Amino acid sequence: MNSGKHLGSIWKKRIVRLLVFPAFVLLIYGILFVIMPDRALLAIRSSGKFFLLILMPLSLVFILMVILNLFLKPAHITQFLGKGTGIKGVILSATAGIISMGPIYAWYPMLKTLREKGVDNSLIAVFLGNRAVKPFLLPIMISYFGWTYVLILVVFTIFGSIGVGYCVDVLVKEKTANHLQ
Amino acid sequence: MKIAIPADKPDLQAKVGTRLGTSQYLVVIDLKTMAFEAVTSPAVSGQSISGIEVVVLAISKKVNAVLTGYCSPTAEKYLSASGIKVLTGVSGTVSEVVEQYKKGDLLKDMGVEQESESRRTKLDGPTLFHALKASFNQFVNLLPILVGVFLLIGLFNAFVSKELISSLFSGNRTLDTLLGACFGSLFAGNPINSYIIGGELLEYGVSLLAVTAFIVAWVTVGLVQLPAEISALGFRFALVRNAASFLMSIAIAFTTVGVLNFVKGLFL
Repeated sequence: MNSGKHLGSIWKKRIVRLLVFPAFVLLIYGILFVIMPDRALLAIRSSGKFFLLILMPLSLVFILMVILNLFLKPAHITQFLGKGTGIKGVILSATAGIISMGPIYAWYPMLKTLREKGVDNSLIAVFLGNRAVKPFLLPIMISYFGWTYVLILVVFTIFGSIGVGYCVDVLVKEKTANHLQ
Repeated sequence: MKIAIPADKPDLQAKVGTRLGTSQYLVVIDLKTMAFEAVTSPAVSGQSISGIEVVVLAISKKVNAVLTGYCSPTAEKYLSASGIKVLTGVSGTVSEVVEQYKKGDLLKDMGVEQESESRRTKLDGPTLFHALKASFNQFVNLLPILVGVFLLIGLFNAFVSKELISSLFSGNRTLDTLLGACFGSLFAGNPINSYIIGGELLEYGVSLLAVTAFIVAWVTVGLVQLPAEISALGFRFALVRNAASFLMSIAIAFTTVGVLNFVKGLFL
């Protein structure tokens, strides 16, 4: 019973958090419709046009989400993250970051547990950096920026995350070592 | 050999939990020594609303079997895929169930072994249904903010002039990229919103360098979620990672646009 109530309050908070931003924008629209209806109508038409433009890539996003959900689950991703050492560890953590879905907040408890189990800081940083690469959102990105740009950006984002992992490894480890001396 | 049993108390006399994802404890028993460990279930401790963490816990405890009253098909699928046997419909106290399991009665009675085996590789109706349901939930979670962004862009188009945007972005490549990275670091949320806003900024004449730094920093640098990252991974880790990611977003912007221009020069 208690856990049910607890889950209910988590959902309520989550829904409220999700609705704050659109409600705020709607409030602005409401005010504008009163004080300058012509411009507000122009704005809503512009939003509508914009929505139609993005409808096709958005449908592709949903299809890709279903495919990823069919074949990947958090339990699988945790199996990748932090496994192996050297290049293999980096590749597996980067893969885990790329295929991970959902808000980052959902991942923090799991990352904390993995870190306590001895997973390297650098691998966690690589995982977090690679969350910027979202395979299921590629249709939207390509529709805006073109596939050449997206391809180059994805490659550099992956390499960049490894660079960040290296910085974290050196700077966080150094501090821990100094602290122990 | 280790087995895991969800239970309502942290001991062997506790009743076996009816559901894997909602029981208070997960009792892990070594059948050789009969030593046991009762772990508070993550699904109840408030860290997650998903039973999948119990699955992860069972995998991390290296158990060979999970004995429970009920286990969702998805959880069962992932436990089975990790080589963990799942026996459902189990009732009684933890010690009774352990004895039955040791004698081999449970395996004979339920015949679940073969069922789990057949589910492992099959792409069946329930699996597709769960994937569709999960995707639908993710999509619904994404929609409110996305609708807000659509409406905001409408306002932007109707009220903000190109001149205003130009006055914010000076035209200086380095400064604009720095500004893009700063904006990206301030905002958080699904990256789809950064692509849409970035695309609109391009329409307004903002440089691709600034837009690239903006969309990379949007995900990799998180000032909004910094307190959560500090509490989970430590102050120094969070600070170093975010600072390095901020600088990296600028470096990625310059290299990406540089290589893009080079590629365009080769083929156009």
